Amino acid sequence: MTTVIGQLINALQLGSIYALVALGYSMVYGIISLLNFAHGDIIMVGAYAAWFIMTSLNSFLPFGAVAAIAVVFSILICTLLGAGIEKVAYAPLRSAPRLSLLITAIGVSYFLENMAQMIFGAGAKSVPNIISIGSFHVGKMTVSWTSAITLIVSVISMAVLTVFVKKTKMGKAMRAVSEDVGTAQLMGINPNKTISLTFAIGSALAGIGSILYCCAYAQASPTMGSMLGLKAFVAAVLGGIGSIPGAVLGGFAIGLAETLVSSVGLSVWKDAIVFAILIIVLIFKPAGILGKKKIEKV
Amino acid sequence: MLYINDMNVYYGSSIHAVKGVSFEVKPGEIVSLIGANGAGKSTILKTVSGLLRSRTGSITFDGKEISGYEAHKIVSMGLAHVPEGRRVFSNLTVEENLEMGAYTLKGNVEEVKKDIFSRFPRLLERRHQIAGTLSGGEQQMLAIGRAMMSRPKLLMLDEPSMGLAPILVEQIFDIIKELHQAGVTILLVEQNARKALEIADRAYVLETGKIVMSGDGKTLSESDDIKKAYLGG
Repeated sequence: MTTVIGQLINALQLGSIYALVALGYSMVYGIISLLNFAHGDIIMVGAYAAWFIMTSLNSFLPFGAVAAIAVVFSILICTLLGAGIEKVAYAPLRSAPRLSLLITAIGVSYFLENMAQMIFGAGAKSVPNIISIGSFHVGKMTVSWTSAITLIVSVISMAVLTVFVKKTKMGKAMRAVSEDVGTAQLMGINPNKTISLTFAIGSALAGIGSILYCCAYAQASPTMGSMLGLKAFVAAVLGGIGSIPGAVLGGFAIGLAETLVSSVGLSVWKDAIVFAILIIVLIFKPAGILGKKKIEKV
Repeated sequence: MLYINDMNVYYGSSIHAVKGVSFEVKPGEIVSLIGANGAGKSTILKTVSGLLRSRTGSITFDGKEISGYEAHKIVSMGLAHVPEGRRVFSNLTVEENLEMGAYTLKGNVEEVKKDIFSRFPRLLERRHQIAGTLSGGEQQMLAIGRAMMSRPKLLMLDEPSMGLAPILVEQIFDIIKELHQAGVTILLVEQNARKALEIADRAYVLETGKIVMSGDGKTLSESDDIKKAYLGG
């Protein structure tokens, strides 16, 4: 029983990271119909940002202060990078065919990976755990603070995002632009500003994800973002791409599936199972669990 | 209030949709643009509101040249556009749709909302409903109410009667008359030529991108050419 609950906690920890990353994928897809394949690499940059602060400031400042700076710095870098990529690489292609945009996203992804390899080398850097406060007990169970904090931070981020999108003027404008850009403009909504904001928010969530990922796996490498990004993409598709609750649901489902496979001793299959899920979803329910079928009117 | 001089709009490089159109809308008027499908009526409205660009000429609204402005900046100058096919935000609630209409409004949105709700009690009843679940007539009311949320001086309506039952068409035209009486200048695009001419102070007839006739609503509706082409004999 304790093993089952222990595995469940692992699943929730992993799932909440996938969910945070999937949110960025889904929001960006919702607003400009782009599968932003560079999204995973933003996490990689965030991880290096955390590593840089953790290793360069630790001799001058107490651990707590360094950790706090690392968190803020890494989220900030991710936010600026995400919004910057949109401005430089995607905004000029606003009226181009969607395929050009997709190819550009893949190009940005390769660019970031190779850039990181050039600067930091191909090997992995070990990132000191930012949440290094051990564990606590629930009955006979030991739960690490890393798992608990990961889950709590993710749930809070998702709740804040939901309130923002549902209740604020900017959030409503985001939904209006994702539904109909032309009409949104007739309301006086500046679509470019709204799209930038969407990228910034999605990337900030990726920044939070990168910190939590580093806490779980303690390392940064140039290609870490690609597999993580792909799995988050599967999570977004599973939940219904474009849907915020869908991304969260998909993230937790993928985390659960992966943990389940590993826990029965088939951990070499854990990546395969994720992509098997993608294939099954695309065959039987291409719109995803919470996605709406789009009827294109002519 | 609105002067359009020598508007030429192309789709791509070869389709010349609007060919050197010039017309004006004076303060307090209802002006109708009538014409068949594909005559360029909607294209003209989209160009005025900044969604499309004219290659030549000028568009002057309220004394200012607006032809280079981006669409989202034009609304706040007092020019609202109810697009063809209503285009309500179907995933947003009725109330959220209205709030989007007031996006550029500085001042008390609640008060304007109250005013719109009193004009359209149906929208008040359904304020929390998702707009996509409204009937066609209700969606048209929402689209008009949403445009009115920006407190426009000039309201452009693109085919407000499209796809509606005759009784609802009457209702929509009554609403347009009421808004006009409340002081809003109106530029109306319609395929329902009979109703559009009946309501208009002046009207322009468009054929394949050109204005072929103009005059006051009554004169045009008595003209033999118009009767034959647009009013069914």
